[in-house]
Amino acid sequence: MANGVEKDRPVISARNVTMEFQMPVERADSLKEYLIRRFTGNHPVRRFAALSGVSFDVFPGQVVGIVGTNGSGKSTLLKIISGAMPPTGGRVVADPGRMHLLTLGCGFDRELTARENVYLNAALLGYGKKEIAAKYREIVSFAQLEGFMDQKIKNFSSGMVSRLGFAIATARTLPGVLILDEVLSVGDAFFRQKSEERIRQIIRGGTAVLLVSHSVSAVLSTCSRVLWLEKGKLLMDGDPRQVCDAYLAYGRSQKQTPVL
Amino acid sequence: MKYSFVTGQLILRELKRKYSRSRLGILWSVLNPLLSMAVLSLVFSTMFRKSIENYPVYYVTGLILWNFFTGSTNAAMSALADNRTLLLQTSFPRAVFPVSRVLAALVNLIYSLAAYGVILAVFAIRPTWRMVLFLPIVALLGLFSMGVGFFLSILYAYFGDVRHLYGVVLTLWMYLSALFYPVTLLPPAMQAIVGENPVYCYIAAARDCMMYGQVPSAGLWVRMALWAAVIFAAGSLCFFRNQSRIIQRL
Repeated sequence: MANGVEKDRPVISARNVTMEFQMPVERADSLKEYLIRRFTGNHPVRRFAALSGVSFDVFPGQVVGIVGTNGSGKSTLLKIISGAMPPTGGRVVADPGRMHLLTLGCGFDRELTARENVYLNAALLGYGKKEIAAKYREIVSFAQLEGFMDQKIKNFSSGMVSRLGFAIATARTLPGVLILDEVLSVGDAFFRQKSEERIRQIIRGGTAVLLVSHSVSAVLSTCSRVLWLEKGKLLMDGDPRQVCDAYLAYGRSQKQTPVL
Repeated sequence: MKYSFVTGQLILRELKRKYSRSRLGILWSVLNPLLSMAVLSLVFSTMFRKSIENYPVYYVTGLILWNFFTGSTNAAMSALADNRTLLLQTSFPRAVFPVSRVLAALVNLIYSLAAYGVILAVFAIRPTWRMVLFLPIVALLGLFSMGVGFFLSILYAYFGDVRHLYGVVLTLWMYLSALFYPVTLLPPAMQAIVGENPVYCYIAAARDCMMYGQVPSAGLWVRMALWAAVIFAAGSLCFFRNQSRIIQRL
């Protein structure tokens, strides 16, 4: 594997992970439809495999990026690894207590003020009460929102909201495996510099990192290994440069323009 | 409890959001029972004057419990569906969502007790030690509502129609709970049915200890405890069996 940092045991071990969604061709959204289908035995189901037979190991010290076009199953994979959804086939061996899924602004409520949202969001991310009280000032100053904290965030620009989300999510370093879902590349160019430094700090603090990003350049600059998922299958796994080049070539052949 | 901070924050969110567009805010929880008491008293006081002494108190005692029951079960019903993205992004127990909705309704009940206290004072209801029994009654009703809420939250994930159906069920249920009329008005067969209605049991027991200064009968306590235990156990069982399966359905 990349870097040759194969210390002892893997922190995440995915074996043949498969996720199938059963989608009724016409979904029974009402009780009436459901009962009619039940009794007439007529419910057509289309199986849709979001992931099929994905296997890989993540070892301590690795920073693993996942690339793939929209709908390739990246987010589904992260949800399964973080324990939010059980897979329909295969298995994932990982200590759920050591997995930390970081997403921006999870649970933000537009009707609440920025201050209230910091506390709510922090609670949902697993902060303790004292911990967030101690970090509060630092979060506000990092997000550059001094003087705005008592306003409802429905009056904020989208950049302000994502800066706030980023500042809360990254206010502490977590021991364990970090799972980052699209947290790179937030805000304007100036904020981005600051946030990339933050991300590097966080990555140094974790035992291993798994991250999804649409930005190939961000993946290249942070990851030591890259997985490429396409239509639910693991197409490539290895050196960032090689995998990203292949991914970009594929994207060009599909006439899609990737974000560089 | 390990998840008390999260639960507390979710309760605060529910309360703030409910009144976020109104100027009086949480004060509405106090005003609501007062105003609806005024309306109902205006309409029914003359009609039931002979059969019910202190009609407004009779009505409000039932109303605050009824509001708690409908408020908590309706909110718990959509707890999972409303928080779909959070369910996918966090890994703490799913029960936190319906539980925090029911607790938020309990906070609302506590606020409306302020109005209730005023009404009791106005109608010169003398305080007795038996009023303390109101607390275990609310606690049992809370368990009962939690059980119903757990069950509804799972059902709602499968069928969105449940919301509308439950609205109709609640209307029927309200008429069977003797909220604004005396039970003695009903024919004996109907009285027997209403007597077995769990929500009526909680309301009747509350009236006993708050209005009439009596300890509710042993039979009433047994019914209240059994309903709470059975429904809470069944609802939780249903919830914990289905909680991982419903994620795909939401």
